[in-house]
Amino acid sequence: MNLRLLATTAAAAICAQGALAQDITLQFWDNQQTESGLSQFQQEAVDRFMAENPDIAVEVTTIPYPEYQQRLLTAVQGGNAPDIATLDQIWVGAFAQAGAVADLTDRAAGSGISRDGFFPGAWDSAAFGDGLYGIPFNVDVWQFSFYNADLLEAAGVAPDSLTTFDGLRSAAEALTGDGQFGVGLFGHRGEDTVVVVNSFIFSNGGEVLAADGACALNAAPAVEAMNYLQDLAQFAPEGILNASSGDMRELFLNGSLAIEFWPALEQPTLQASDINWGFVNGTAGAGGTAVGTFGGWNLAVFESSEHQDAAWKFIEFMVREDVNGDVVDLIPANLAAADAFLSENREGPDAIMAHLNNAKPRPLSARYLEVADIQMTLYQDVFNGADVQEAADAACADIDALN
Amino acid sequence: MLARDRWILWLFLAPTLGLMGAFLYWPLVGTVWESFHDTSFINPDPRFVGWDIYEKVLSGRDFPEILRNSIVWTLGVVVLQNVLGFFVALLLNQGLPAQGLMRALVLLPFVLPGVVTAILWRFMYDPQLGLINSLMLRTGLAADNAAWLASPETAMAAVIFVAVWKGFPFSMLIYLAALQTVDKSQLEAATIDGAGPWRRLVDVTLPAIRHVIVVNVVLTLILTFNYFDIVWVMTRGGPQNATHIFPTQIFETGFGQFRFGEAATYGVFSILVIAALVALYVIATRVGAERRRTA
Repeated sequence: MNLRLLATTAAAAICAQGALAQDITLQFWDNQQTESGLSQFQQEAVDRFMAENPDIAVEVTTIPYPEYQQRLLTAVQGGNAPDIATLDQIWVGAFAQAGAVADLTDRAAGSGISRDGFFPGAWDSAAFGDGLYGIPFNVDVWQFSFYNADLLEAAGVAPDSLTTFDGLRSAAEALTGDGQFGVGLFGHRGEDTVVVVNSFIFSNGGEVLAADGACALNAAPAVEAMNYLQDLAQFAPEGILNASSGDMRELFLNGSLAIEFWPALEQPTLQASDINWGFVNGTAGAGGTAVGTFGGWNLAVFESSEHQDAAWKFIEFMVREDVNGDVVDLIPANLAAADAFLSENREGPDAIMAHLNNAKPRPLSARYLEVADIQMTLYQDVFNGADVQEAADAACADIDALN
Repeated sequence: MLARDRWILWLFLAPTLGLMGAFLYWPLVGTVWESFHDTSFINPDPRFVGWDIYEKVLSGRDFPEILRNSIVWTLGVVVLQNVLGFFVALLLNQGLPAQGLMRALVLLPFVLPGVVTAILWRFMYDPQLGLINSLMLRTGLAADNAAWLASPETAMAAVIFVAVWKGFPFSMLIYLAALQTVDKSQLEAATIDGAGPWRRLVDVTLPAIRHVIVVNVVLTLILTFNYFDIVWVMTRGGPQNATHIFPTQIFETGFGQFRFGEAATYGVFSILVIAALVALYVIATRVGAERRRTA
């Protein structure tokens, strides 16, 4: 009798365990910015996670970058948010303010995940108010100045000269003519315009918002940088107001553009091309160091998730040193993973690391998207020849009115 | 109608009315309600603000520009699309050789998805690599590469041209069908009376199809005012707001900046214009039907 009872209990226990297996299903949303086959690598990592955590299943939804924001926003508004998603650094403030994503401060502290393990700018981009609303997943920095080495050599331009404002202008002038363009400036209404102009402003000692939150775009360093870009635009291809970084890439790849501005993400494209290319870390005043604009994505847990513990487990897994490099198409946000990733996949890893460590995030504001929209209007005015100080004053009036 | 028949009528109508209520009228009412509330993604709890958002929108810098752009865009596309569509229909109604093939070729732009059309023309307009500038330079029509979509002076004309290119086959189809209903004996009588092609067109053809023209114009007004994809993909409303129209502004304000209340307010203005155009359409179709009945 006892034996039968024991056998029945054991069978029941086995059945119960079977029923518990994968009784949690997490929805993970990510976007794809490149044709890197990332989905396949992510699925492999997810399979590994599920093998390590047999009670948790993960369904990955990869959404093309252009429609990701809209899909995510609609899902949150409709009460159908995933458990975990990658959030652009510039969305974190809005999602946190809206109460859509969970504060991960205690979980991170409990797991030993801290700022030291990540690029500082990336970690700071996930902080809003007193909370931490994401864990950095991948990063990059705008911009590196990628140059066509053959064109520079033919024009007698030394690549190192591109790192200073004066040097870049002289190079752009020397490289422009006969259907060839010196510098790939672009100014369409897009975030790539914002980050490139920001980096010139940062590199000249300027800010978008001052420490007190007031607009600083009409302060001298920012105005000086924008005046510089307005002058530099004469050496850019026609159509600057509707041109994007993608358009400049086309011209760079066909050999008619000498210098293009892109993050390190551009390297795989150039590696696959016939262009003899190189790069320097942005441009600054004489003796200064270029300061780039941080870009990248953070992993966030949604407040509506019924499986926040499991979601956190998944985040811990995805930012682990041995995993993070396999599941991103930018640069891993985990410092140790980034080191290995850059050494293996990118030219000039030390220079990239230095530029990443020196980069600044965009303003950490719940109303960042409105600030950026005003910046786009300002930068279009600048590239269209407006008086920079007047345009910046108008933009600052609009930005300050948001508060 | 018997009471039982009326009951059955409503029973059959109920699913349609239910679906329209859920997916059309409820969101419509929601949009109007939202336009009176300060609500955004970051402040999801709506706060009633009365006409404040309307005042803000109407006194803002963007509204006059968007209104002006929407009028220029809509009238530009509708006039050109209908004129071109009508004359191509006239041409294809002449019994030319290989007419079937020509009709099929003319229809091609219309069957292309809007996004594909926009991407295609964005390449064509590219200042450095585009076919337009290449042709103009080779034929001596231009001395330099023009930045069609990047100049506030030319961007609107450039997107209107693309919308007309895509849309004129729609108008052409309707006009062609209408032209084939014109009484041939009247045309022959006019010819015998000495009327040339122009007089036949003005005195016989146009009066015979005037109700189709009115309906076609009103219909294209509604469709064009609501157009989104071509403008968004080609210019995103730029440069410097030069091509921002109501649909692009609503999308950018709502989904780009998460300001739902303001987007709803632009939506209400848009609904009012569309409602007026729909009323015009209904009147035009009723008048047309009345005239056909009494003719």
